Amino acid sequence: MTGPADVPALSGTQAAILAAYAELIEEVGSDDVSFRLVARRAGIAERTVFRNYPTRVDLLLATATWIEATVFAREESHSIFDIPLAIRDAMQRYDERPELAHVVAETAMRGVSGAAPSLGRPHLERLLDAEVPSLDEVQRRAVIVALCHLDSAATWVTFRREFGMDRRDIADAAAWAAEAVLDSIRDRVAL
Amino acid sequence: MEEPVDTATAILASAAALLREHTFDDISYRALADEVGISERTVYRQYPTRAHLLAALSNWIEQTHFPLPPFVTVADFRAAVHDRFRAFDASPAYAFVGARASAISPTLDAEPAYITRAIEAMLDVSASTLNRRDRRRLAASLRYFSSAMFWARLRTGFDMDAGEICDAFDRAVGTMLARLLDATWAKP
Repeated sequence: MTGPADVPALSGTQAAILAAYAELIEEVGSDDVSFRLVARRAGIAERTVFRNYPTRVDLLLATATWIEATVFAREESHSIFDIPLAIRDAMQRYDERPELAHVVAETAMRGVSGAAPSLGRPHLERLLDAEVPSLDEVQRRAVIVALCHLDSAATWVTFRREFGMDRRDIADAAAWAAEAVLDSIRDRVAL
Repeated sequence: MEEPVDTATAILASAAALLREHTFDDISYRALADEVGISERTVYRQYPTRAHLLAALSNWIEQTHFPLPPFVTVADFRAAVHDRFRAFDASPAYAFVGARASAISPTLDAEPAYITRAIEAMLDVSASTLNRRDRRRLAASLRYFSSAMFWARLRTGFDMDAGEICDAFDRAVGTMLARLLDATWAKP
């Protein structure tokens, strides 16, 4: 995701539940945490957790969305050509919170029953349409999908897991790929 | 389908069969035990957590349903990836399991996937004089855009079919390959 995302407004209790669950995920090293433990950490009754999040999947998806919007919130980019910098920064932050990065990456890969896989899409589309309005629909979508794919926790997971890259190399490679995507539109900005 | 040879594989085959009707999250260890005709405890012994089950199921599906055609050249690589995206479209439930499994915190000493090694080998031969940093940047990018994750994101987030996903893949990797000088590529 890039820039401000649309995140549903949370009640104070809900925010406390999600923060407690995220904290426990990092401590336990897994999302396999009981509702009882989440309730205790949030300082509320277990039934209050159930009332807000009836199933484990509901809780996990809400938490993943919350993590992206808070822990991994992007600084707003004002140009599509600044996105590689935002991606570089995002990779470094995923690397600081690996368990949370895995949760965010995995919940976005569940299909329709999962979290939205491209939260930053509307923001990217606004930037691209304002700066490079001359693209045809297929070119426009190609740029958007490639940048959405790169600006995500899945990039960090894949580069680390498949190539054993460290923080610096992941940030470098992800930004490099994003620059490549922008090469095709670099000199096509509207006057 | 061949007769499963051991309990671990039988559990995976049952899980894969259940995926036709259910999401992975809805498949309980109880249901797997009943399908295979073993105790729930035996399922737990094979797969201590759902993450273990997901990783093993994804590997099994990969081997049985999404075998990767061998490739040596970039053109062959693109063709192999197109075949995979079309296979994912034909069995979306299986492909989403693959995408999910590749995003979870590794449960075992996860080896890099076969396709990762194949991409590295391809670049070793086709772009043997390319410096190490650019080679890793390119390999990682090719790997990531040829993944089940790319297919899953475009299908769910952009409502694209296999043909459109193949086109988006070609355009993305095209921009990355274009960053290299022509002289980089070994002449056939």
